[in-house]
Amino acid sequence: MNEMQTGEHQTGAMQVVMIGLGEEKFALDAGLVREIIDPVPVTKVAGARSFVPSVINVRGNVIPLADLRIRFGMPQLDDSADTRIVVIELELDGEPVLVGLTADKVYEVTEISQTDVQQTPRVGMHWKPEFIRFIAKWREEFVIVPNMERILN
Amino acid sequence: MSAIDPTEIFRQEASELFEVLEGALLDLGLRPDDRELVDSAFRALHTIKGSGAMFGFDKVASFTHEFETAFDRVRKGEIKPTQELISVALAAKDYIRALIEDPQSTDDVIGDAILDDLRRFVSSDQPVAPVAEIAEAPPLAPGESNQAGWHLYLEFESHVLRNGSNPLDLLEDLCKLGPCFVVPVTDGIPFLDELEPDDCYLKWDVKLHAACDKDAIDDVFMFVQDEMKLTLSPLEQIEAPPPMPLFQLLDEEPVPMAEMRALVVEAAAPVAAPPAAKAEPKSESNPEPKPESKRDDRGIATVRVQAERLDELMDRVGELVIAQARLTQLAASGSDLSIKMIAEEIERLASSLRDTTIGARMVPIGSLFGRFRRLIHDLSRDLSKPVEFVTTGEDTELDKTMIECLADPLVHLIRNAIDHGIEDTATRSANGKTEQGRIELAAVHSGAQVLVTVKDNGGGLNTARIRAKAEEQGLIAAGAVLTDHEIHQFLFHPGFSTAQTISALSGRGVGMDVVKRTIENMRGTIDLSTRPGQGTTVTLRLPLTLAIIEGLLIRVGEGRYIIPLSAVEECVELTADDERSRGRNFLNVRGNLVPFLRLREIMTASGAPDRHQKTIIISTGESRVGLVVDQIIGNHQTVIKSLSKLHSDVTIFSGATILGDGTAALILDVAQLVALAQSKIEKQHISEAA
Repeated sequence: MNEMQTGEHQTGAMQVVMIGLGEEKFALDAGLVREIIDPVPVTKVAGARSFVPSVINVRGNVIPLADLRIRFGMPQLDDSADTRIVVIELELDGEPVLVGLTADKVYEVTEISQTDVQQTPRVGMHWKPEFIRFIAKWREEFVIVPNMERILN
Repeated sequence: MSAIDPTEIFRQEASELFEVLEGALLDLGLRPDDRELVDSAFRALHTIKGSGAMFGFDKVASFTHEFETAFDRVRKGEIKPTQELISVALAAKDYIRALIEDPQSTDDVIGDAILDDLRRFVSSDQPVAPVAEIAEAPPLAPGESNQAGWHLYLEFESHVLRNGSNPLDLLEDLCKLGPCFVVPVTDGIPFLDELEPDDCYLKWDVKLHAACDKDAIDDVFMFVQDEMKLTLSPLEQIEAPPPMPLFQLLDEEPVPMAEMRALVVEAAAPVAAPPAAKAEPKSESNPEPKPESKRDDRGIATVRVQAERLDELMDRVGELVIAQARLTQLAASGSDLSIKMIAEEIERLASSLRDTTIGARMVPIGSLFGRFRRLIHDLSRDLSKPVEFVTTGEDTELDKTMIECLADPLVHLIRNAIDHGIEDTATRSANGKTEQGRIELAAVHSGAQVLVTVKDNGGGLNTARIRAKAEEQGLIAAGAVLTDHEIHQFLFHPGFSTAQTISALSGRGVGMDVVKRTIENMRGTIDLSTRPGQGTTVTLRLPLTLAIIEGLLIRVGEGRYIIPLSAVEECVELTADDERSRGRNFLNVRGNLVPFLRLREIMTASGAPDRHQKTIIISTGESRVGLVVDQIIGNHQTVIKSLSKLHSDVTIFSGATILGDGTAALILDVAQLVALAQSKIEKQHISEAA
């Protein structure tokens, strides 16, 4: 089902984009990421689900802007100089969809290896296990590789 | 242009011809005595045959030839076009279409069977139909064709060469009919400096010494008869066989120009003058003078354009409109007068370009309606339910993409109407109805929408049975309180069918979910209304266009929104009186009570409301609703962008657009807002009653 995730190599290494949401770090599969842009004016969509509260204009396309912090029940920070929008493309119900994600900080593009994959260590985290593909280790830190299809459905 | 595959052009052309042919055949079933119809069917057939052969569709050419031969007897009035014959002819038409579109799928056996049928009909020598019209325009009686031959005078229009016709080929064909004496008439040739190399200046005077049919001659010129004048008169007596010297001379050594010229003039002189004088009164030649001019007009007035190019054009115009909005905004914020003027100029141009582009994409819905006549003809025959098919509003124009999208849903609806709506003749007469059922297909503009209705006068929906089925499938609990309207909605549930026997055609409900989905994808809605024993009406409400609309830009709190301008009736200020009637939410517009919605509440706008709230009265067909907004900003050309799946649960917006400053703005879905207002009113009534 994950043919979209082209960042995965045979060797088990995986290209990821490291983003920060609040205090946590997430590793987004680089194969999903289309571009990273500076914050743009957002348009609120009344009546939308809370984690996709608005739409933005990215190069003439109106795309939804998702806020993972809301989905994960994390506190929302005000936009800072580090805030970015990560535009990802994924398949929802068989159709490719562009989605913008608000990130408090984008660190770097890096490789994590599957051997670093850890079993979900801490139970009782404040996010649901089905949102997490796996947890990997990066610079002695635990990072979450989220399952974007599930999160956005 | 050279990249276009010529066979593709042939396919396109053929599909238009098929429509003509089918229409003519179906009409012929109703008016068997109409010569025009026979002729237009025959002409379509002949063109298919000719261009088929030209593009290498040999099977098509040979089959069509047989078809044509059989049909020729109808044309000559020797047999009458009966319903049976027309059915076979339609089958033959379908076979040709299959031969062209998907040759692999066809089988010669089928073709042969159809031809056998055709031959059987035309050879079973029915007496000539007692038709007066046929006698009026008779082909020459068989006896007459036995005379000495024909005298032809051919005059082509000057552009005939440019259209790819070659008069020499035609003359060659003519020579195949028998010995010909052809004399070119050269008096139309201008001086060299005025001569257009690709114009045809020559005329021909031909004596054909053959006892052939007049039709045989007409056939030779079939393709060019719109572009030429053919004067035909029988030769009075057997003249001496044509003198040969002219030809001999041509084959021999070059002769001095003067001598040659003298010979030609000599040969031409005696005939060139008389035909011109004598031809007119005798002109029994061209049998179809009327359609000629009609076809000419169309040929000049329309150009074939690939559909994708129109789509591309629309996309470009959309981008232009967005860029233009940015320019206008920039110009407005500056103080440079000349930039402002240019911005205004471009705005005007962009808006007219947009209208033209939309106009170019508009197609009258009649082209779609025409297709269903065949469907109904076949269904009514297969089910032995005589059905009268009435269409109105064929001129109503819709975006071509929508016309294409509409075809399938309408097929479903019409099938359902015949198969399940219309009762069989026994039931109908038992219920005191006419034996012939009636299906009406209508299209009409209504505000910002086009309404397409399919109406039958059959038995109506069986609400009890739908309900029973819904309970059986566990869609509702037994005994749940539902309105008829709610029960009918189950028809759109996937896989829902109340058909007790599975028919080859349809079960009420099978495919209805597809209908609904298709219509909703076009931002349309679907209404069902039914009266037991009297029939069912299905109404499709569709937006006029899919791409760009004229919008009214408004502000509510911090947010800006677009209301489709076509839905806007008027803008009024919310008076203090209306303000006070907070609980009631009704507006007094010149004595009429109009419910209103506060968009600030719906959009959960923050900040203080403007002191002077405005109300925009919008309407959908019958119902009017006021929308209270903070500010009316103005007109906005709105390029519609659809919302993604992540926002598919949001119903009050039908899409989004991009404003001049690059931000996205949402487009309000007028129909949904009206529905919302109405449900609020109902709730209010309930709470007041309680």
